[in-house]
Amino acid sequence: MSAGRTALGAAEVLARHRVVACVGAGGVGKTTLAAALGLGAARRGRRALVLTIDPARRLADALGVGTLGPEPSPIARPLLTQLGVPAEGALFAMMLDMKRTFDELVTRFAPDPASRDRILDNRIYQHVSDALAGSAEYSAMEKVYEMSARPEFDVVVLDTPPSAHALDFLEAPERLIGLLDSRIVQLLLHPAMSAGRLGLRWFQRGAHQAFRLIERITGFGFLEDVSEFLLAFEGMSEGFRRRAESVRQLLFGPETAFVLAAGASPESVAHARDLLGRLEARNAKVCGVVANRVRCWPNGDGAPPRPEERADWLAQLSAAFEQSAPGFEQSAPGFEQSAPGPFPARAAALAALAVLDRYAAAVSRDAEATAPLLAEAAQRGHFVRRIPELPRDVHDLEGLVRIESGLFGADESEDP
Amino acid sequence: MTRVERPLGAAGEESPPAGVERPLLARRLIIVTGKGGTGKTTVAAALACAAARRGLRVLVAETGRDENIPRLLGHRGGPVGHAGVETPAGPRALRLEPYEALAEYLNLRLHVPGAVARLLRQGAFRQLMDAAPGWRELVTLGKVWHLEQAREGDAPRFDLLVVDAPATGHGLTFLDVPRVVVSAIRSGPLRRHARWVETLVRDPERTLLLPVALGEELPARETVELVDRLREQVGVALDRVIVNAVEPAPFPAELSDLDRRLAALPHTPGPKPAVWAACASHLAARHEMNRHYLGEIAARTGLPTVALPLLPGGVRGPDDLATLEPPLLGAEATPAPDAEAARATDAARTPDTGSA
Repeated sequence: MSAGRTALGAAEVLARHRVVACVGAGGVGKTTLAAALGLGAARRGRRALVLTIDPARRLADALGVGTLGPEPSPIARPLLTQLGVPAEGALFAMMLDMKRTFDELVTRFAPDPASRDRILDNRIYQHVSDALAGSAEYSAMEKVYEMSARPEFDVVVLDTPPSAHALDFLEAPERLIGLLDSRIVQLLLHPAMSAGRLGLRWFQRGAHQAFRLIERITGFGFLEDVSEFLLAFEGMSEGFRRRAESVRQLLFGPETAFVLAAGASPESVAHARDLLGRLEARNAKVCGVVANRVRCWPNGDGAPPRPEERADWLAQLSAAFEQSAPGFEQSAPGFEQSAPGPFPARAAALAALAVLDRYAAAVSRDAEATAPLLAEAAQRGHFVRRIPELPRDVHDLEGLVRIESGLFGADESEDP
Repeated sequence: MTRVERPLGAAGEESPPAGVERPLLARRLIIVTGKGGTGKTTVAAALACAAARRGLRVLVAETGRDENIPRLLGHRGGPVGHAGVETPAGPRALRLEPYEALAEYLNLRLHVPGAVARLLRQGAFRQLMDAAPGWRELVTLGKVWHLEQAREGDAPRFDLLVVDAPATGHGLTFLDVPRVVVSAIRSGPLRRHARWVETLVRDPERTLLLPVALGEELPARETVELVDRLREQVGVALDRVIVNAVEPAPFPAELSDLDRRLAALPHTPGPKPAVWAACASHLAARHEMNRHYLGEIAARTGLPTVALPLLPGGVRGPDDLATLEPPLLGAEATPAPDAEAARATDAARTPDTGSA
């Protein structure tokens, strides 16, 4: 029933975009999905860079990039070959150190070393620079921009920063531009301010009131620090502004695709649906929706007993255990009672039924929770995948390959 | 000042894990934090619910933009926001909203409500505040402090405050802001107020930080890092780590090879033997993985861990929260390795709770 455009598969999405951003709330497995997307691109002959925030160390170890730095580290060729990556494909991984990147930006745009040091030494900057205008998120986006411009990568897969609000990073360039353009900052940056707090007198009424109030509450120090910071920032604001605009254009332009990751719990799905709506409202180009760690029946096959079947299943199972119990041949009829620790067939049957019940409860909870999200996404023409929950963390290549085949396999596959 | 009259037996029914002296419910303020997706909101709600069932007057506060706790506590109806609501399960629930908290603070300080309302609506002011760092955390914690101080007659208005703090990274900033403000601002009432808040956060008699983790690699590691940083940076009391959504042992110990036995059966009713066995192996592997990281967290933080079982149907309301109460307040904990290494392995299987 999918209306509108035909969904691009994950492979096409990676082939047609320079940036693929994995978005979703914290804890849904974005990092692993980003790694799997990168691997998928490399297996299809692309040179992919995975930019990650918080690499799973064991997975990084398994990929031979245990200590990720702020420069791209290549995954070694023999390993790539083992993973089915052809000679023209390549895979790199890199860690985003957000604080460091913002320092780099200050260094780059500062007109002179003195201004640079004034910024870097400013108490406001030091203590809470990450909170200022979403600088952490902004610098992550800045790095994406920088990397996507490098000729050695065909595609940059981004594992988005964890943030209270999963879209903060998208809004970061705009917020920075907004801040730099805001009347209040212009007033603060205006040379009249250099005279110090006396300059406040010339403020328009609103700003004047605001400042007076803030000063009354905070004592004078805070505002002085802020204005000192903004003054030091003045020389760089144009550079920042232009750059932020380019970053914004990249994120919302035709070269960036978004893949939304959701968990399987009802809360996580509700969050993802909300995110999907907000991404689309901002004209972000969403291409895929992935429900991760969904408990599925092995081979898509399984069901708990219906209530009226229960007694029968239990009897059949008990009998089956009875017959197959080791030592069954030796324990002749009439001797079971005295045999040391006979296999408890009925207890085993009960335990097996309990396993099935427990498994089934999670399967139906996850299916119920994810269905509306996936249906909604499919209807809008996004590719849709359900990645089965694995028995363990994805900490080795085998696990990563399984996720990759789940992402790049047939649409809406129930674990083949 | 920190001693509080409590309904009889309120804390007595609780069996803290070995190595922990004070029951959870003997605190005034419990700040629940953890990586996103660990279920800290569920834990905060379960804790509030359990405390209310023991007769305590409880306030539970969310700090994010989402509002989930009122629903978990049985509230039906619209968002409760900053004003809050008495929930059917007992606790009062609210969502701390920075601008509302700021308005309250300004009104308390300035006694000119009209002016404050006008100011907060002003574009220029909002723009500056939107960009200004730290104040959200500060006014939010300030509001918590205010609620902690609130009295009704001779008694505190709330016996226990549970705060569902922002996810780990943000949570650390959240708790650290009062200290930063105290060190960054030279004088003025804000500095004084930040000092009060800082004192509350750091008072081990009143305040406990409760980290929530999952028994998986990343959340476990992040929890260990969080505990390290909290210890060196914030100095807030920590006495246990909650590990949420732990897959229970799928079959009894004497049937530990049930999956293999299932696989070996020639025939099973319903699912094929291989499928049935795969389900059993899956649950067993999840269980083992969760237990493994539970041990890692205990070993690397030196704190006892408290395992909460994964509820296969999810946590939807007060009944599910009640299921989490015995493990949350009981003794289903693994002591920190150095505390009582010998008993560590038995602790989960034979909870030596006095209540039962």
